[in-house]
Amino acid sequence: MVLKTIFKLYFPFCILSLILIFFIPINSYTADVGNCLLCHKYPGLTRIDEKGNLRLLYVNEEIFGKTVHAKVKCEGCHTDIKNIPHDPVQKVDCLAECHIVEPSSEQKFSHKDVETFLTESVHSKFDKNGNVKKYSEDLPTCKNCHEDNPLYRPLAFFKKVRPGISEAALGRCRVCHKKEDFIYRFYNHITTRLHRSRIPISIAEMCSKCHDNPEIVAKHNLSTKAVFSYGETFHGKAARYLSESIPDCLDCHVGQGESAHNMLSNEDPRAPIHKNNRGKICSQIDCHPGASPRFAKYNIHAEFNLEQSPAEYYFTIFFIFLTGGTLLPLMGIIFLDSFRKLFPHITIISKKRKGM
Amino acid sequence: MEKYPVIKIQDGKKYFFRFTLNQRIQHIILAATVVILVLTGMPLKFHDAPWAPYLYALFGGISAAPTVHKTTGAILVLLFIYHVIYLTHVIYKGQVLPLKKKEGLNVGKILRLLAKQSFVPNLKDAKDIRDLFKYLLFLTDKRPEGTQFTWKEKFDYWAPFWGMVIIGLSGLVVWNKVLATKIVPGWVINFSLIAHSDEALLAALFLFIWHWYNVHFSTSVFPMGTVFLTGYLSEELMVEEHYEHYVEVMKKAGLEHEILPPHGSHEHAPRKGGYAS
Repeated sequence: MVLKTIFKLYFPFCILSLILIFFIPINSYTADVGNCLLCHKYPGLTRIDEKGNLRLLYVNEEIFGKTVHAKVKCEGCHTDIKNIPHDPVQKVDCLAECHIVEPSSEQKFSHKDVETFLTESVHSKFDKNGNVKKYSEDLPTCKNCHEDNPLYRPLAFFKKVRPGISEAALGRCRVCHKKEDFIYRFYNHITTRLHRSRIPISIAEMCSKCHDNPEIVAKHNLSTKAVFSYGETFHGKAARYLSESIPDCLDCHVGQGESAHNMLSNEDPRAPIHKNNRGKICSQIDCHPGASPRFAKYNIHAEFNLEQSPAEYYFTIFFIFLTGGTLLPLMGIIFLDSFRKLFPHITIISKKRKGM
Repeated sequence: MEKYPVIKIQDGKKYFFRFTLNQRIQHIILAATVVILVLTGMPLKFHDAPWAPYLYALFGGISAAPTVHKTTGAILVLLFIYHVIYLTHVIYKGQVLPLKKKEGLNVGKILRLLAKQSFVPNLKDAKDIRDLFKYLLFLTDKRPEGTQFTWKEKFDYWAPFWGMVIIGLSGLVVWNKVLATKIVPGWVINFSLIAHSDEALLAALFLFIWHWYNVHFSTSVFPMGTVFLTGYLSEELMVEEHYEHYVEVMKKAGLEHEILPPHGSHEHAPRKGGYAS
């Protein structure tokens, strides 16, 4: 009886809801529940911040809608925004527990676990005993590496490789999955993990921000300006020529099946770059299969200077002297010969002229 | 083997035999492969240079240029091996065998024979270098009278010869690094790379400055020496660079009365054009 009354009371509301749901466009891109795009959809939306920098506040809904974060509400990351219009916002904390529900555990999702990886890695701000390391402020947090991550670089692997979502691939999803929205989301979710969002040179440039900074290298007693010396190898040079298949920093410094956030020092016996493990890294199936442990004795971070790699340095100096020693006298002869040809009959000691 | 007349007369001018067709083909393959190897190698050595990406793109960029470089390198290695076999064959058939028939062989005789080869450096070369400096510094007006192959040509032969051994071996190590490190430790690759690229730079500068100056850009031959194509050298250049050999050849051909005076000589200068004789 009570149920019947409730049903009668709410019946018009249910019908109205159904009609409303029917009219919600299927292709709605983003999870803009807070209607943030009301303002942020305008390309000219900018402001000058306290430091005098121009801040672009425009959000391209079409691009954002194709990123991995498309389903996250704006307020999910910008947690300090409660009212609209809002005050200048805080920087986003990537570790906030704010995201969509993680489908396998049905728990609220967060990047918090990444922090756990990071604290166990060589980049941790804390040492083994949990004390804050010296110069911990130099050690990276999320956005030191991820601020220039391209938002949108999906994989397309059917016939021709080109940027964008592959309709051919989506066709396969549609065999089982009916919900377009779901298909797009999981396609993105999976493909972004199947490829790297950055090409090797971008990874190297990201690492170089700290690892080529002479101050940081000296302060942390690092053995090399890592990206500089990487750039002297074929790997680095190929990367500079935009090779996508050449190994970058992560290919050697991150163990197989590990996360990049879990990078370990070369002194750590678990690290892939520990001297006992290097052979395995070089001889990976995609790299130098069949390479013996001797192969890994290659000094990949040689800088050709006296302090860091004296043998290579002296060997190079030998060739510089050989080149100079060969070419300078020969070029001297060329110079003298060209000059001599201008005055072929002149001598300082003119015995013959006297005789004539 | 092909027969080449020692002196060829064309349009009333004498041309002197220098290189057989086989040698000229070897030289052209060498020249072409070296140029391609330099063009595909230098953009890697100087990857920071503004021209490097454009030059590299010309050979297909990072996805193709290394293959071009390795293929060309392989051709050059094969050419080198062929050349050594060719040289051994020519000397053995042309000189060692006749000597063996005539008076028998021993190690000393063979070594003496090898030392006497026209492309092997000897004391005359040292003397010619000394005399060249005398001439260049205006201490005399007499050019050194060169033999069949001057010290410059011997240098041009032996420098790339040594260069090809160094660059070839180091290139093979870098190319087949997995195989190489079954025998040698990985740091050999470091040194191979340095040797490969630094010796290559030396070779390229040597060839494109020194060799090209002598055979193309010097005012005596500019705009282009043609002996590498025709195998024959003009009388004028023969007199300038190989006077001793020139006189020898002319005498052998019974042309004593037509021998020109040495290059730059005062006495005979007016006669050089031929109108006075």
